[in-house]
Amino acid sequence: MKRALCVMLACLLAFLPCAALGEEEEIETIVTIVTAPDQTAAERPPCFPDPKDDYIPLPEGENLAQGKPVISGAHTDVYVDKNVNDGKTDTYWESKGFPAEIVFDLQGAFAVSTVAVCLNPSSIWEPRIQEIAVQVSLDGETFTEAAAPQKYQFDAATGNRIRIDFDTVQAAYVKVIFTLNTSSHTGGAQAAEICIYE
Amino acid sequence: MRKAILLVIACTLICLGAWTSLGTARGETTRLTIYEGPKTMESSPIASVSVNGYDLFVYDVMVNHQHIYSDTSLPTTTPMTYFDFEGRAVISIRMPGLPNAVESAVVQPYAWGITPEVRDGEVRFAITEPGQYTVVFNGSVNKALHIFANPLETDVPDRDDPNVFWIGPGEWTIDAIALQSNQTLYLSGGAVLHSVISVSQADNVRICGRGLIDGSDYPAWVQAGSSARVPIHLDHSKNVTVEGIGIVNSNCWNLNSYSSRNVRIDNVKIISGRQNGDGFTFQSCTDHTVTNSFARTWDDSLVLKNYSGSTKGITFKNIQVWTDLAQSMEIGYETDKGLTLDPEISDVLFEDITVLYNFHKPVISIHNSDDAFVHGITYRNIVVENAFMQGDNGINKELMEMTLQNSRWSTVRDEFGSIDNVLIDGLTVIHTENGKVPASRFSGQSEDNMITNVTLRGVTILGNPVTTLKEMKLSIDAYCDGIVIE
Repeated sequence: MKRALCVMLACLLAFLPCAALGEEEEIETIVTIVTAPDQTAAERPPCFPDPKDDYIPLPEGENLAQGKPVISGAHTDVYVDKNVNDGKTDTYWESKGFPAEIVFDLQGAFAVSTVAVCLNPSSIWEPRIQEIAVQVSLDGETFTEAAAPQKYQFDAATGNRIRIDFDTVQAAYVKVIFTLNTSSHTGGAQAAEICIYE
Repeated sequence: MRKAILLVIACTLICLGAWTSLGTARGETTRLTIYEGPKTMESSPIASVSVNGYDLFVYDVMVNHQHIYSDTSLPTTTPMTYFDFEGRAVISIRMPGLPNAVESAVVQPYAWGITPEVRDGEVRFAITEPGQYTVVFNGSVNKALHIFANPLETDVPDRDDPNVFWIGPGEWTIDAIALQSNQTLYLSGGAVLHSVISVSQADNVRICGRGLIDGSDYPAWVQAGSSARVPIHLDHSKNVTVEGIGIVNSNCWNLNSYSSRNVRIDNVKIISGRQNGDGFTFQSCTDHTVTNSFARTWDDSLVLKNYSGSTKGITFKNIQVWTDLAQSMEIGYETDKGLTLDPEISDVLFEDITVLYNFHKPVISIHNSDDAFVHGITYRNIVVENAFMQGDNGINKELMEMTLQNSRWSTVRDEFGSIDNVLIDGLTVIHTENGKVPASRFSGQSEDNMITNVTLRGVTILGNPVTTLKEMKLSIDAYCDGIVIE
């Protein structure tokens, strides 16, 4: 009888740790630990190869437009014209309607031969066509045509950017004129960056 | 001796019973999946959490305790962690980041019926059901811990399928991901993805996994030079499912659907603390279902609007909501932003919604501030654990609000709509800030633009059944008719 009592007491003691949550409770657990790879910084997911190899190349050399004074007409919401030459493609200028003109003061005369218009390269900016012309001036008042109006295809697959090449011309002021944007999300011109090169 | 034996047997049975009542019977095995955090990140210094003795990675995510809108308001952080399990999980928590040792803890929703043990600064409790658990320490919501105890994953997509983009554990960044028809994005547990996911004019798309989409790499969208980056944006798409993932630190809205149809969202967890951080937000959508999900937001938590056409067939079921700013379940304000013909919002069901906290504006609101016909709206089994609405300078702090007035968000200002056939079937308010019944307000516009046929049934506030409009503190104006409380 004493032995039976001892067995029961032992059983009771065996269960006690389980009875109170405050005590360590061992639960039979089959655990899967999903481990993280060695990284020192956030990386591009391997399943999304970098598309930059297919981007339309831009000329090497200084972007004459960056940070220079810029003048435009009315803009949409918060998308002001100073976004167009701040060096960032995640900000943009959006005009309020057409035609939309934006003028860059290069603060000196340069032999200009290329204007590039860039949208955000993200693929969430759907493909679109914008019609664009380029005019130049030495005094900021009288402009002559450097590139006639032409429709350009913007596509994230090629960097959502286009380049307008024309015969080299002396310019202190460059006017970029938009007359069409086929995007369904806007009624105006859009440009994240406009770059001007010699 | 016989008495002693009987006593021991009784004690044994009692102990055995107590043990089994805590969850899984002895002999059953718990299956647990835990995820290492990215090696580029540190686990939160605020909280340390383990489950069945295994340490979890704890994320600090943005929330905002400022309960009034400001363009310049900055978020703070709160700890969050997650794991998957089946069986019984004993969760152990320490909070070294709190200014004082933990002396008390409450697990929400209260309906879980969990009374955690607090001993020597450690909080412990057991769970047997997957779901979302929030732990509040020392009577303060500051640094409340969100625990997302997911069910074990099933139907994991094949990473070798060419239509599957498979993102594993680790920290990843890509400016944006545009999913096309028939594509799947799998975001593994342990993954932190800095990106936005767009599904535009696509069909049969799936986003799933256990990982996080994290918008912390961008400033709030209202800041100069920034822009809105919606973590998941569905646009004119159909047959889309979003399952299992978390969305944190967004710099604007979180899970947005626009003019889409047949969308299923399950077990998605959202926590936001920055401007316009709406949770599940749908505009002009049809046939959307959100289930078993969580939204702690610094703007409307669950929100329906009309931007371009009508809204119809929306169900929110078994959702936990924590509204730090704005409304918990909002229809409006924009109900005809797209100036469409005969706009409607109809066939909407909010069911089994637990509002852990609302600190700002109405819990239930229909702000028809354009000209839509809003009808067939049902709220069933709504539990408001803490109705702490402070409003804006004393206004808009109602429990329920239905209006037919213009607002700053109105597009249509010369015509008004109506609200008809609304059922509130089961509404329980457990706590209010001042221990009093919060007011509610229905306000129509004219005899042609009225709020009609609203039935309230099974309302309990502060433990007391509410059976009259007076007890409900519900004010109705002359342009309301058929407002009934049963």
